[in-house]
Amino acid sequence: MTTLSFVRARKPGPGAARNPHQPYRKALATTRGRIGLALALLVTLAGLLAPLLSSHVPTAQSGEALLAPGSPGHLLGTDDLGRDLLSRVLYGIRTDLEVIALAVPLGALLGCAFALLAAVHPVLDTVVQRVFDLVLAFPGLILALAITAVLGPGRLPVVVVIALAEIPVFGRQLRAGILVQREREYAVAARVGGTGRARLLLRHILPNCADPLVVQLAVSLTVAVFLEGAMSFLGVGIRPPEPTLGNMLSQALPYLAQAPHFAAGPLLVVTLLVLGFSLLSEALNREIRR
Amino acid sequence: MRGYLLKRIPSALLVLLLASFLIFAILRLVPGDAAEVLAGPDAGPESVAAIRGQLGLDEPLLAQYASWIGDLVRGDLGPSYAIGGQVADLIGDGLGATAELTLGALFFTVTLGLLFGVLGAASRRRPVRVVVHALTTGALAVPPFVTGVLLVLVFAVGLSVLPSGGRVGLLEAPDLELQYLLLPSLCLALPSAAVLGRYLKDSLERAFAEDYIRTATAAGVPRRRLLWRHALPNALPPVVTLLGMQTGQLLGGAVLVEAIFAWPGLGQLAEQALNRRDYPVVQDLLLLLVAVFVLVQLLTDVVYAALDPRIRWE
Repeated sequence: MTTLSFVRARKPGPGAARNPHQPYRKALATTRGRIGLALALLVTLAGLLAPLLSSHVPTAQSGEALLAPGSPGHLLGTDDLGRDLLSRVLYGIRTDLEVIALAVPLGALLGCAFALLAAVHPVLDTVVQRVFDLVLAFPGLILALAITAVLGPGRLPVVVVIALAEIPVFGRQLRAGILVQREREYAVAARVGGTGRARLLLRHILPNCADPLVVQLAVSLTVAVFLEGAMSFLGVGIRPPEPTLGNMLSQALPYLAQAPHFAAGPLLVVTLLVLGFSLLSEALNREIRR
Repeated sequence: MRGYLLKRIPSALLVLLLASFLIFAILRLVPGDAAEVLAGPDAGPESVAAIRGQLGLDEPLLAQYASWIGDLVRGDLGPSYAIGGQVADLIGDGLGATAELTLGALFFTVTLGLLFGVLGAASRRRPVRVVVHALTTGALAVPPFVTGVLLVLVFAVGLSVLPSGGRVGLLEAPDLELQYLLLPSLCLALPSAAVLGRYLKDSLERAFAEDYIRTATAAGVPRRRLLWRHALPNALPPVVTLLGMQTGQLLGGAVLVEAIFAWPGLGQLAEQALNRRDYPVVQDLLLLLVAVFVLVQLLTDVVYAALDPRIRWE
């Protein structure tokens, strides 16, 4: 009896509905997925709890201890202006996460909206494709420079640059998905059966395109960390005294020989964060591609 | 092939045209125009207006755009406002440095990519394959500014064998220049090398699964010869196309790597021009970068179409 039910469980009949959340759960249960999730959560939590965990005000300068290495008073040491590095790293994570949490979903939503628009009519499709080409014609950081020329440095241009860079990525992904799904039997059957165009697109085709978009979301988180940091290095990102992971690293650059501990904290945190995100995306990708 | 070119080239030109509109528009949106920068903070409105008239900034936007593109086509880029010198000279110097960095990075991309790909697919030692996989995952995930800082910490600060940044010029001191070039080009190349290596590994594994490999194995062809003479040549064509796309990525990434290693290329020039609000330089530079990028993409597509006839009929 047990063997029989085992066989039945392994081979669901043609009518059996697949649980759509199954591959995600399986992906998170792999070693890769677990480590990725743990790393991402660890860093995120540190950022969220920054006000509780940090011992100093991140922008407070102390005149006596400049570039001091770690000590009981300042666990990670101090920077060139005598600010506590641990507090700055924690608040830096927080800033990065705030920017990313705003920009990545914004870019993803706009990209998907463009792709849906393109699915309505071939003329719109051509227009949307050209818009994507145009954005992609600017290498990511060149786009950042052009945007900052107008907006000036700060949080807003970072959010805009990340969102803008993500629009064609998500848009093309979804457009390709729609083109494939539209010709599948279920979609043709639904169309023949009289399902309206909008309903077909939003209720039937869109859910079947979601999996690669979820993987892309995880990939985009790494890209966002990269763009924030890169903009700081180019001097067009979020400016100090407000700490970000990127601007701390770029400030530490001239002091690498003199005070390597300055770079150590942000270096470690950025590495853990992007490794976490990319392990997650790899785990999801493997499970979804099956 | 001609039909494909007739379709592909106009669409690249269209993208370039749209990009030029966009760049022009962006720089008109910037608060404070070139005349205000030139006149200085203490200048009265009359002198600003006078300079504006001299520069032709009071003409209609369309006329300004036309004269910009016209000058560009004639190769007359004019003087720079803030940095000094001719825009063409500034861009020429920067282009040389950036091209050098990109070529250096291309070298590492190809050598490391081949190494990662071949070891990852063909090494019979599992630890080697695991290490290669970990390395490529790391190189793909970790941003260049992290690897850049790590490279400086290890090779310039720790071992003090290489300089931490700057450039001496290839013509002045070729041997010294190679030392200066090593770290930045390695830093720029790592992500692309990882992409290439991963792709080559998959491509090689697929080639190894083919029948002709089994036949050759049965006929007693040594494993080494099998890899270099049979599997690799068959795995390479798609990798070549990928290399083209990665070259575009390298150009974009160079902007960041130049900032980390104080490499005086186009990226540094762009940053400097933006900070000093030298709009003629910014405007020409942005368009040049986009043009190079579009050209690389076009070449990649054309090579790909030449290799794979199915693409031309899409």
